[in-house]
Amino acid sequence: MSWPLNRTLTGLLLLIATNSAYCETSAAPFVSGFDRFARHAEIEPQTGGKLLISELSCTACHQTQRPDLQPKRGPRLTGVGDRLQRKWINDYLASPHSTKVGTTMPDLLHNLPENKKQQTIKALTAFLMAQHAEFPTIKATGANPVPHEFWKKGNVDLGQELYHKIGCVACHEPDEAYEPGETKISPTDKMLSQLDPEEIKELGLAATVRPVNSVPHGNLPAKYTRKALTFFLLDPELSRPAGRMPNLKLKAVEAADIAAYLLRNQTEANAVSDTSNNAALIAEGQKLFTGLKCVNCHEVQNRKPEQYAKPLAELNAQATHGCLGKAQKDVPYNPLDQQQRTAIQQALDSLSQENNSEPKQQLAFQMLQLNCYACHEREKLGGVGFNRKPYFETANHIDLGDEGRIPPTLTGIGYKLQKKWLAKVLNGKGDIRFHMQARMPVFPEKQVTSLPDRFENADQSQKPQQDEKVFPDHEKLASSGRIMLETGCIQCHPIRGESMPGVVGTDLGDVTNRVHAKWFREFLLDPGALKPRTRMPTFFPDGKSQNKALLDGDVDRQIASLWSYLKAGPKQPLPEKILAEKSKNYELVPETRPIILRTFMQEAGTHAIAVGFPEKVHFAFDAEQVRPAIAWKGRFLDAQGTWFIRFAPPAIPLGETPVLFPAGAPFALLKDKNQPWPVSAPDQDDVQFRGYRVDAAGIPTFLYRYQQFEIEDRLEVTEKQTLKRQLKIKNNHSSGAPGTLWFRGLTGKTLKPLNPGTMQNQAGLSVSISKPLAKAGELRTNDKETDWIIPVPAADNTTIEVTYQW
Amino acid sequence: MVKQAPLFLLVLILVIFVTGIGLQQTACAESENDYYRLVPIMTPKAQTESRAENWKPAPGDLVLEVSGLAVLDDRRVAVAIRKGEIWILDGVYDEPPKNVTYKRFATALHEPLGLIWKDGAFYTVQRSELTRIRDTDGDGTADEYLTVAKGWGVTGHYHEYAYGPELDYAGNLWLTLNIGLGLNKDQKTRAVTDPTLGFSQGRWRGWGMKCTPEGKLIPVCAGMRSPSGLGANRAGDMFYTDQQGNWVATNSLHHMREGAFFHHVEALASMNLEGSPIHGIKNIPNGLPFPEAIKRMPQLKPPAVWFPYKKAGQSATDIMLDNSGGKFGPFDGQFFVGEFTQASMQRVFLEKVEDEYQGACFPFREGFASAVLRMDQGTDGSVFVGLTNRGWSSLGTASYGLERLVWTGKTPFEIKEMRALPDGFELVFTQPVDPQTAADPNSYKMKSYTYTYHSSYGSDEILNKDLTFENITVSEDGLNVRLKVKGLRELYVHELQAEGVKNKAGQTLLHPQAYYTLNRIPKK
Repeated sequence: MSWPLNRTLTGLLLLIATNSAYCETSAAPFVSGFDRFARHAEIEPQTGGKLLISELSCTACHQTQRPDLQPKRGPRLTGVGDRLQRKWINDYLASPHSTKVGTTMPDLLHNLPENKKQQTIKALTAFLMAQHAEFPTIKATGANPVPHEFWKKGNVDLGQELYHKIGCVACHEPDEAYEPGETKISPTDKMLSQLDPEEIKELGLAATVRPVNSVPHGNLPAKYTRKALTFFLLDPELSRPAGRMPNLKLKAVEAADIAAYLLRNQTEANAVSDTSNNAALIAEGQKLFTGLKCVNCHEVQNRKPEQYAKPLAELNAQATHGCLGKAQKDVPYNPLDQQQRTAIQQALDSLSQENNSEPKQQLAFQMLQLNCYACHEREKLGGVGFNRKPYFETANHIDLGDEGRIPPTLTGIGYKLQKKWLAKVLNGKGDIRFHMQARMPVFPEKQVTSLPDRFENADQSQKPQQDEKVFPDHEKLASSGRIMLETGCIQCHPIRGESMPGVVGTDLGDVTNRVHAKWFREFLLDPGALKPRTRMPTFFPDGKSQNKALLDGDVDRQIASLWSYLKAGPKQPLPEKILAEKSKNYELVPETRPIILRTFMQEAGTHAIAVGFPEKVHFAFDAEQVRPAIAWKGRFLDAQGTWFIRFAPPAIPLGETPVLFPAGAPFALLKDKNQPWPVSAPDQDDVQFRGYRVDAAGIPTFLYRYQQFEIEDRLEVTEKQTLKRQLKIKNNHSSGAPGTLWFRGLTGKTLKPLNPGTMQNQAGLSVSISKPLAKAGELRTNDKETDWIIPVPAADNTTIEVTYQW
Repeated sequence: MVKQAPLFLLVLILVIFVTGIGLQQTACAESENDYYRLVPIMTPKAQTESRAENWKPAPGDLVLEVSGLAVLDDRRVAVAIRKGEIWILDGVYDEPPKNVTYKRFATALHEPLGLIWKDGAFYTVQRSELTRIRDTDGDGTADEYLTVAKGWGVTGHYHEYAYGPELDYAGNLWLTLNIGLGLNKDQKTRAVTDPTLGFSQGRWRGWGMKCTPEGKLIPVCAGMRSPSGLGANRAGDMFYTDQQGNWVATNSLHHMREGAFFHHVEALASMNLEGSPIHGIKNIPNGLPFPEAIKRMPQLKPPAVWFPYKKAGQSATDIMLDNSGGKFGPFDGQFFVGEFTQASMQRVFLEKVEDEYQGACFPFREGFASAVLRMDQGTDGSVFVGLTNRGWSSLGTASYGLERLVWTGKTPFEIKEMRALPDGFELVFTQPVDPQTAADPNSYKMKSYTYTYHSSYGSDEILNKDLTFENITVSEDGLNVRLKVKGLRELYVHELQAEGVKNKAGQTLLHPQAYYTLNRIPKK
């Protein structure tokens, strides 16, 4: 197949696609909220009209002080010459409404004589193409991969998948060829899909099943370069400060993938940007840009508008000439349809009569402008469209019902969520539904900063109460709350990142920082009342507790205890069942043979080698100071920190009754018996650790060297839960250093001989050595510490047996 | 409706037609995969994302976060994993590798970050020591863990990773030690402090050391930040890679030799310890362009190769010599360097100019399933690639695992070598070039830049200069191109984009980029 033919075919295909788009859609500007709600009388016509006034940026010329009616305005055109293709700009200026069907930009050149129009377009295009700005540098870090020229490396398939999964299709057209994964459709939806339109109408459910139209993309391959679209997706606010296209928190490669997908039909030829330069033409274009009032909507080079039209308040809704009429000379032309025109007229009429609207209406209006309704339902308005629901999935298709895959309702959200948490969510830092594929996007701060207050004002009949008011004296109940959680909560919710196996849900660890105490209480008492069709079961049917034993079955105190426990955070241990689950994965439980773990330990240092025995006596050897350092009984260790936690926390003995061994090396050559036990500095390895061997029973023998002595040190556990230590000392006399070799048996504040071979310290650790050896032992006190030292016979090979008991 | 049907049909036919063409095109397009294909052996996804506080692996006993790789023979590889075990994998060369068996050989190692097999034993560097591990009773599991060398500081800071060993011809085992980042009070009690400069770190932290066959541990060179990869070239000289961060402008490859200081100044906490081959550093030229800093600080040695950030990766890891004699394609004798964040691999050509190494890096292969930490060459020339991204982040669909990179037998059109000349560079290609495009100065773009040597995290490319070509000559066989370049600058990176060069078949280069670190301009 040769290239030209291929191209012709693609062209044909595009033509057909464009034509079919013409058949279906009118050229009228597309405004989601208007199209979805005003057209079907689900909002008042004047609200729809007001929406058009702001979204069509009427007030960019017809100024008003009203904050709600400030114009959306068009994209910022800084650097547009590096972003868009010359031909597209040219075509768009010539005929905005056919080049991008549904665009909200009016046609400003419609009434110019043809040659003047061509010249104007040429000049404006030249001016716009001369706008250059470097694309921002995307900061790469160890946590953020940014491949070189990532915009060239997008993957169409991955892009298609992202586009259909993360929420793009809440507003934009899905690809018919894309099949969403298998998702369990809710029974209600299933029933609805089986009814015929008449029945649906009769049931009053028309709005629920009505397909939601898409915000048109226009011909993206003709418009953008791949780089430009990638950077636009990474930070839409940069060129569209109104935030109608929010930021979906894409990684660099994800943006490149989606751009590659959206531009998959782009041939290389038309993606080349133009750099031709004609100073006179550019200057002319610059003048026109202001003169034609492009500047009223589009920011470029910090230019300011110079002229406005009649202020909004002075407009005559019934005027036969002007923007609302047919295309007229010197008036911007918007191909409004009759319904849109009427709505704007009604809005204009209502402006003079209208006092300040209710907070609830203000909020709803803002949600219409930002199209929150594309994803979220609030007070029976909006929500993911019926035809879009299949694209909303959970990760790995876990069935959590619709609430696991569809963005949550905002009905009563100001009653439910704390204001500061709402703000966090809107700032893009409140992701808690990791099972949900759709992402909560980030809107420009300016656009949403008033929302938390508005939600609270609209949904709280009175100021939210402090949690002390809702749950008086709850602090004391935390430990009961820990038990309460086990009655059900942890079957579906993780706590602070830990959970029962297979549990996928929102983490409750932080819930007291998210929801109001009052809502928490009411929700627990009757989940369905606050959240219809939720999968959250009722644990207090008829307001009664199932658990009569805890807190006397007092429902109020039981709920308060949950709040209290969750509020205490890490100050309270995780629920017992979760801890048990965690230890199943990471607790080392020696069953038939010893288990060894090299790790960091508080008492055994950074060269610790812990040895756990099935007999439930364990010790840790310090391979730096070369000595057993600590022993304990009961449970051994949790290995999670050592194995998998990045910050390498020290392992903590899980068992009881830890006892410490003498600090410093077990052996020393002393000039005389009064010489203090040497303390080895970290840079002097007086004793060299040489490793260990593991015998057939799995017990390690530690090997070390001290001067001319080779030492083998082996500890095992006896049936009586004592530690039996065998020290084999080989004396290589040839390299002998002077002095007697001493073994330090025990140290302590006080030492007490129990019998001729046994010594016990104040901590209860007693040490036994064979009587003949012990006979030559010395007790000495130095600096408030007493130690018991035993001389080692000067034979070539000596074995000392020591028993530790506590 | 009836009227629309033919139109619909036409569209359908066209769609099928065009899609078909599209597929054909993809098959024709050059992609790395046509030359080096990836065979996944085990590539699981963890239950949590890579930086999660309570990171959880995929279910199962074997958490194959590869931290050391040693090819044993033509059936087996040994793998050290980060949780502290060594596993022996049998059947790893099978295609598809569906009958691989996994056997645990050793346990209880403290985050081992390297593995070699030598004289019947494994050697690995744990956090606190170099260990020799053997199975003395022949039951297939280790029973002897002997300490070969220890003595470097371990304050307990997580970042104090210890890497290695790698073997040189003299039988020395080399290892490298990370710097700790911001020690707490408890950790400081285990640190040493240099009396003049005031830096505080664990002993020999930020140093490269070698352990002689007699077991003596010798500090060799210093100034490392995160030296996660070591490797010897064919001449037996030892190299390491470093990762961008404070004092480290971008990732880099360094020749480890006695007395060399590379960049991270906190390594100088050990400058005055007994055995240190570095002395007398009194001032740190903080904030100067790197070439200027080198003039002020004679101990500071430039890297053999800088890897410009993002362009040639974000976090360099292992170094592997292609020692296969051509079984891995046309790059025999060159280095391959792993890349963590971008889950990819770079290629490095080195040459000696006035007895010091310098050379160029080239993008080589991307698209691994996770962060590349370890590589080792199989007996058939293919490369085993060990993956793990825990603690940071990487591209790719997996969290850890093992893949094998196999040369397809097709030679990619690449810049095989880039050599410095007194007046420019010589490019050696893997295939004869089309003389017309190769002689056209518009086929190339070149610029040079350097970095700031400073305590901040990474550096921009500074003192950028676009370079022009005075003359371009193509050798008769079409394999060599000489670029005569105006304005070469010593100690600067010279970045080449050869996007216009084609081979005789009209293909462009698979990777048109080359980044040459011109430490010295050859005199002849």
